[in-house]
Amino acid sequence: MVSDTPSIDLRHVAKTYRGGVHALRADSIRVHPGEIYGLLGPNGAGKSTLVKILMTVVRASRVEGSLLGDPIGTKSTLARVGYLPEHHRFPPWLTGRQAIEFSGAMSRVPRRERKRRTADLLEQMRMTDWADSRIGTYSKGMQQRIGLAAALVNDPELVLLDEPTDGVDPVGRREIRDILVEMREAGRSVLVNSHILSELELVCDRVGILVKGSVAMQGTIDELTAESQRYEIRIKGSAPDWIGEHRGTVRPLDGDASLVVVPSADPEALQPVLDRLRADGTVVQSFQPFRESLEDLFLRAVTDPESGRVLGPGGTRGRRSTAPPTAPSGEGDR
Amino acid sequence: MTQTLALLHAAYRELNARKLFWVTMALSLLIVGAFAALGINERGLTVLWWEFELEFVNTRFFPREVFYKFLFADLAIPWWLSWLASILALISTASIVPDMVSGGSIDILLSKPIGRTRLFLTRYFTALLFVLVQVTVFTVAAFLVVGIRGGTWEPWFLVAIPLVVIFFSYLYSICALVGLLTRSTIVSLLATMLFWLAIFGVHAAEEITLGGEIAWRMDLELVEKDLAEAVEYGDPIEVTGPLEEVVESTRRSYGTWAAWHRGFYVTKTLLPKTTETVDLIDRTLRQRAGLDVVPPEPEEGRRRGPRSGNIFGTNSRIPQREIEQAQQDTNDARTLAWIIGSSLLFETFVLGLACLIFSRRDF
Repeated sequence: MVSDTPSIDLRHVAKTYRGGVHALRADSIRVHPGEIYGLLGPNGAGKSTLVKILMTVVRASRVEGSLLGDPIGTKSTLARVGYLPEHHRFPPWLTGRQAIEFSGAMSRVPRRERKRRTADLLEQMRMTDWADSRIGTYSKGMQQRIGLAAALVNDPELVLLDEPTDGVDPVGRREIRDILVEMREAGRSVLVNSHILSELELVCDRVGILVKGSVAMQGTIDELTAESQRYEIRIKGSAPDWIGEHRGTVRPLDGDASLVVVPSADPEALQPVLDRLRADGTVVQSFQPFRESLEDLFLRAVTDPESGRVLGPGGTRGRRSTAPPTAPSGEGDR
Repeated sequence: MTQTLALLHAAYRELNARKLFWVTMALSLLIVGAFAALGINERGLTVLWWEFELEFVNTRFFPREVFYKFLFADLAIPWWLSWLASILALISTASIVPDMVSGGSIDILLSKPIGRTRLFLTRYFTALLFVLVQVTVFTVAAFLVVGIRGGTWEPWFLVAIPLVVIFFSYLYSICALVGLLTRSTIVSLLATMLFWLAIFGVHAAEEITLGGEIAWRMDLELVEKDLAEAVEYGDPIEVTGPLEEVVESTRRSYGTWAAWHRGFYVTKTLLPKTTETVDLIDRTLRQRAGLDVVPPEPEEGRRRGPRSGNIFGTNSRIPQREIEQAQQDTNDARTLAWIIGSSLLFETFVLGLACLIFSRRDF
């Protein structure tokens, strides 16, 4: 049975480095049991810092919240958490098997269970044949698979993955996605940091977009793209004059007079527009639902709405950070 | 315990991968083997089946057991255990802390349910444990060689094991601290060597100024005695006047040497005492195992007049050997609490600082 207690319930977190650089200042991030949460953001937005704070690798300037029901920073809780750091590095003289077993031992997994789970994970990661070779001889993708296995060896309730598909080939990426889905089905929570938005879109239940250390957007992809959901009708020739006046909602797309946009996800709203177009004798070539991709959403989040410029990387300097462009949130949806 | 064993096992694999641990171990055993191959008889030295006739190195001058004890106490300990083997051990273990805190590696360790202080100290003591293994193997092997070849079983030899490890731990605390701060094995190694050199410099300066202080104190006693005798015998002012000037000038020199010595002594008190800690082995063997190989100079030697002299420019009636003996007595009177206790206090301070930095640092 899946617990109602959020796996991650971050009410407030701030991290200011020496020199007054605000790496992170975020409010209200929640990851629920059995959920895959994608954390997005441009370089230097604070994604890795946030994960490192949760894993006690970085000390927050201020943090309020809980991890698996315990206050953030409680060391014993980490025995129930799996973590794959970005650019992780196991000693090159260890074999893959030894690295996974070491990770398990450090998470206090009993020896027999450690051995069993290591063998299972090596099989799952398709690394059994290489298990007893030294990590120094592995490719980046193989190291990533071992890192993922090491993160899962303690059978964690919550898994934090920082760029898990970094250096992994397309087949490996697909396998990692499948593993994430399996973890979700097993009731585990997963927080994934990644730059590869198309992958996150495929597996994430909810996403949060960090910009300059603050949460700019958060919610399910449906919620975040609700405003952009629409129907697009391709017609032959230019849109008739009434199009721009139809209840103030239907309009030709800017710069494309033969594309009519119905700004609604409801097919009922489409019918009268189609009827009238056909009544006018306009040839309808096609119509289809449209929704912003995660990439569109991301670009919208990192673009300053006033200047239209993409915000630069890194945290903010000084007493107050620059506010991110927009902040719609689907929080409270569960 | 699972975590401690895992860290220990990982450190063993690290040392094993670097091979230097086994190279050091092999060299230790080779040196013990070389000692075992050496022999002494009434004609001279033997090396395996070769014999070298030597006039002054034979059993007529050195009983067999004294010869082997000498090999161990005056060659193996000061040159191998506390010098070359320690440098090799430092090279073997210097990377333990920098490797731990290197990017990508530390994230994995810190994300585990283990406190930072415990993690750091476990890595630190792991390095000491490997040095303990090295020293134990060498010392026990040497003990067996002295027993089998020299015919004397001297358990006090084994005191070298804890003392060499303690001596090494002073240096390794610096190595660990610098490794933590710089994340560089080379820098931590160089800094440790420099620190070692610096404390050796302070030690040498303290020893020299102690010798000077003793020499001038003895000189002062002599000239004061001469003056007292002159006054007692009613010598004229032409005799006592210059003597008074000599007393005054000697007192000033003594004061200067004493002040310098006090400064170096206080500095040394605050620092780890590497030389004295290793010298404790020698002191123990001299006092407990009767290993005083060099026969004492006859008592009348002091009174033979100006033949002997000393290096401190004092009255030449004070022979260097007498000053050295007084210096040795002063050193022997130094307590374990001063030698080891204050050194361990320094080490605790350094480790405490390292733990504090490690606990508060972002990685």
